[in-house]
Amino acid sequence: MEGETTQGANVGRWRLLLDLIRPDLSRWLGLGLFVAIGAGLNLVGPLIIGRIVDRSIAGVEVNEISRLALWFLVVAVIVQIMAVIGIQLSAVAAWKTTNQIRLDLVRHVLSLDHEFHRSHTPGELIQRVDGDVTAVSDFLSKVVPKVLAVLVIVSGTLLILTVTEWRLGLGMAVYLIAATVMTFRARGRSVDEAAKEMSLTAKMYGGIEEHLTASEDLRANGAADYVMHRFVEDSRGVLNGSVERERAFMKMWAQIQGTVSLGSIIALIVSGVLVSHGSLSLGTAFLLFQYTQLIAKPVEDVIDQLEIVQKANGAMTRVVELRQVRSGILDDGTTSPPSGAMAASFRDVSFGYDDEQPVLSHINLGIEAGHSVGIVGRTGSGKTTYSRLVLRITEATSGTICLGGVPISDIPLAELRQRVALIPQEVELFSGTIRENVTLFDPSPTDAAVTDALRSVGLESLAGTGSDEGIHRQLGSGGLGLSAGEAQLLALARVWLRQPDLIVLDEATARVDPQTEARIDQAVAALREGRTTLIIAHRLSTLETVDDIVVFDHGGVGEFGKREDLVREETSRFRQLLDLALEPTAATTPNQEESPMS
Amino acid sequence: MNLWRWLWRTMIHEPVSLTRGWSLFVIFFMSPALTGWAFGKGFTALRSLDSAGVEGEVTDGSLTTVLVWATVIAVSEIGRIITLYFGVIEWTRSWTHMETILRGNLLRAQMASGGSDAGRPVASSGEAITYFRDDPHDVVLLADGVLDTMGALLFALIAGAILGAAEPRAALIVVVPLAAVVLVVRSLDTKIKAYRSADRQAASEVSRMVGDLMSGATTVKVNGAIDPVMSRLEKLVRVRETTAVRDAVLDEGVYAASKGASGVALGLVLLVSANSLVSGAFGVGELALFVAYLSWLDFLPRMIGRLLARYKQAGISFDRMSRLVADEDPANTVLPRHLPMDARSGREGGVPPLVVTRPGRVKLQTLELRAFSATYASGAGVNTVSFTLKRGSFTVLTGPIGSGKSTLLRAMLGLSWDTDQAGQLIWNGEPIVDLGAFLVPPNAAFLPQVPQLVSDSLADNVTLGPRDDDAFAGALELASIAEDLEAMPDGIQTMVGPRGLRLSGGQRQRLATARALVHSPELVVLDDLSSALDVETEVELWANLAEAGMTVLAVSYRAVALERADQIIRLEQGRIV
Repeated sequence: MEGETTQGANVGRWRLLLDLIRPDLSRWLGLGLFVAIGAGLNLVGPLIIGRIVDRSIAGVEVNEISRLALWFLVVAVIVQIMAVIGIQLSAVAAWKTTNQIRLDLVRHVLSLDHEFHRSHTPGELIQRVDGDVTAVSDFLSKVVPKVLAVLVIVSGTLLILTVTEWRLGLGMAVYLIAATVMTFRARGRSVDEAAKEMSLTAKMYGGIEEHLTASEDLRANGAADYVMHRFVEDSRGVLNGSVERERAFMKMWAQIQGTVSLGSIIALIVSGVLVSHGSLSLGTAFLLFQYTQLIAKPVEDVIDQLEIVQKANGAMTRVVELRQVRSGILDDGTTSPPSGAMAASFRDVSFGYDDEQPVLSHINLGIEAGHSVGIVGRTGSGKTTYSRLVLRITEATSGTICLGGVPISDIPLAELRQRVALIPQEVELFSGTIRENVTLFDPSPTDAAVTDALRSVGLESLAGTGSDEGIHRQLGSGGLGLSAGEAQLLALARVWLRQPDLIVLDEATARVDPQTEARIDQAVAALREGRTTLIIAHRLSTLETVDDIVVFDHGGVGEFGKREDLVREETSRFRQLLDLALEPTAATTPNQEESPMS
Repeated sequence: MNLWRWLWRTMIHEPVSLTRGWSLFVIFFMSPALTGWAFGKGFTALRSLDSAGVEGEVTDGSLTTVLVWATVIAVSEIGRIITLYFGVIEWTRSWTHMETILRGNLLRAQMASGGSDAGRPVASSGEAITYFRDDPHDVVLLADGVLDTMGALLFALIAGAILGAAEPRAALIVVVPLAAVVLVVRSLDTKIKAYRSADRQAASEVSRMVGDLMSGATTVKVNGAIDPVMSRLEKLVRVRETTAVRDAVLDEGVYAASKGASGVALGLVLLVSANSLVSGAFGVGELALFVAYLSWLDFLPRMIGRLLARYKQAGISFDRMSRLVADEDPANTVLPRHLPMDARSGREGGVPPLVVTRPGRVKLQTLELRAFSATYASGAGVNTVSFTLKRGSFTVLTGPIGSGKSTLLRAMLGLSWDTDQAGQLIWNGEPIVDLGAFLVPPNAAFLPQVPQLVSDSLADNVTLGPRDDDAFAGALELASIAEDLEAMPDGIQTMVGPRGLRLSGGQRQRLATARALVHSPELVVLDDLSSALDVETEVELWANLAEAGMTVLAVSYRAVALERADQIIRLEQGRIV
């Protein structure tokens, strides 16, 4: 069973590499050719020296020796220049290739469902889509050219030795085969250790990232000791992981290095025997000595880089795994609901996580097209989950949700998210300009449209006055520079720009003062025209103008009816909530024009 | 430059592994001197065999000599492999310790509530990861470079002496290309630094965007914005591609070129020795000695070049890391700190239990804000605010958006780093010197507007330290979350998931409320606690707090809160009205 998974992972890794290289095949082939020529030139130097040895023993003119030495020098310089160019070529190729997978992975992760994001920290995901891919990139740019160089040098050595003295060629071949077998046998375990170390490292960084995000809470509540304790625990994992990986790696290194050293010792002894029988010239013996050194060098290089190989191996396994994660939400719908406001109906909808009691059970609701519906209920009664279901961020465990009479699983996801908008409890902002945060980096809306959207939701302050940078003002990461209320208005502007057919507001006014709330209410009232609106709210004043009210209770619908009726009915749950919140119940005929702003 | 001192303090954080790793490496670096020497001797023996062969008689004595030298080589190589095996393992320990002490100091500075440790909070956690990941690594690479250079230098001295004794002229000429490499690298210094810093900048922008996208995945999805954000990310990634290639060409290019220096050196040796080669004064034994040593000698300029580059990079890294620590002083990144993580000192024992040091409780009678101001560079903020809180009172802070309520609370608690502050907070008549350090549990506790949880158990998220069962149960009751816990199969051990995402928004808010209450703080500061709570829960909460006799300062707009308040403070444009 375990063998099978490893095998599967191996196949996955190779396929990943092939996938990566294929679009840039000619670049990689060109690089390969260049590296091969550069490596081949390395074999020329020892030939020249071998000749120098033989010729000087033979007692030739000094001139000849000087000429040979000059040739040697020229070759050495060319090898050096080619090495630098090779680095440039391989770096370009590796970055071009791996940037593609970076982008693919980010896109892939963005397409995964809420379940996935719920169980992976952003820090871990950063490590996986950027850190892991960088490890693959290092592998491609640093290791692949070196391995190719080793192959060229080894085969070239074999060829030259065989031509010079076939017995040496044969001996070298036997030795190389034995060395290769040793190397591959040593490889296995260290790969596993590398993967283990990387996941421990990712865990530590994930923890740091999360604690930094929560730093205000943690500082204010004196949690430094607690955080440091967690950090030490995670670092200990990293320490053990690194030592174990290094141990496995060094075992492999010792075997390979031992083989290389053994090779040069054998070469010396063989030379001794052959030279003493007069069947080998001293120059050829010296050639053999140099070739064993020559092979040792790039092999050592590759060994140096084995760390990168290990990391890349682990990284590739994780990349393959990540790519294999499938969203629980299939996007195979083809039906478009009729245009305009959409009715929303829920038939026996339930949702729960595997290990816990259901969050929502057997919801039945029919919301008419164009109606606005207020949704109230205690925290944990399933309201937010409910809003996620409408957008298919999470999928109902059972039951059917229809929008405009079409089950949402039959609507293409892109269309669903075009026509249904969510303004969530916690607004997420990005480092970029105000404009980029409203359009989410979409260049198509005009500046005027963006400014208009901001004004419409009451964010004149951000729309700018013409004298400042206006909507091109830069915001820090996570919306640094905006208050929570402004952030929520900005989220509203996003929706305003899109003009969807169904809007879900999840506590959109939770963090704003009454004045801003009134501004939002006005904006929402205008936005509601001709659309179906679901408004989840704690603050009942937000719901003065809605048509219907749903009261959620322990994952079910506790009450559903026209707002007017519920307010009039003294025993209704909604009426009781109003009384509890000390809010006026007289407003049975809400007046939309009235606003505390005026 | 203080860089060497900071490096030294990083290195000696864990001296045992450092010493062991270091000594083993010294032996490792010197052993090729023996191997190369033995090769030279071996070839001299071969030469005599060759001459003997010409005369037609095999001298067994010489063949035995070759075997003897082969044995010496074998012993030397075995020694080298064994020392490196253990050396690397010790050095890995030492290196992980070095990275950890740097990360530990950065993290501590980011988490400290006031005191001399506290550093300015980072703007983006996604970006900050590069400070924790890449910068300590660069510093450790410098330590590694120092070790390698010292080893290479030792070897060079020994090899130089042996070569000089054998062939003084040839030995001198070897210095030329090796020195040239060092000079070239030196002259590229500025460029290396500039390229590296541009690359880091580009990498930061990529991670910041990736970080934003990973935390804001849902927003991107529900707004159907995957395509535009991806094209933006693509732009950033392309920029980094350019900077990374430049960086690699310079960094590794110099390295590769210097590696070729031994080839050039050998060429020069042959050129100047052409005469002695023919005369036989420069024999094959000497040639073997040169070939063997040169393949090791080129390590030295390479290491010197690399060391210089790493020195520059480590300088940049200390600069960057210093932004996270107190006073932005790099010396604070290398403070000695007890981080009990060594695998050797008790792998089974685990990390010692968590001990939390808190300030002593000073029973609150009155807290007075006297002409307290906290202003941003733009001029916004709060201006000369004064009011007094009495023990057991419930004060509501209200006012329109942007009127400075959150700024006031955060500044009061020493959390507002981006404002200039003036005025005093007076606790029972004594001015508080360090707001951040004093106003933490048990003296004060804070619930921010958007509370953040961490992926840990529910209980740990509340206590953030050792648990007192009674206080814990009490806080859960007060925060009205005890009932929710009963429904969870793992109870208080339930893991809340990354950023608490396994809980609902309201549950997170109440759990964070429990966190603020668990140490029965003298003063509870709540920034808009009701934002994620329904009315019933909120009413219950206010009642609970009143019943417990807590002193509360809360931002709220809600009628139910205002109804209960002993004192209402209304802020407008940063002033009390």
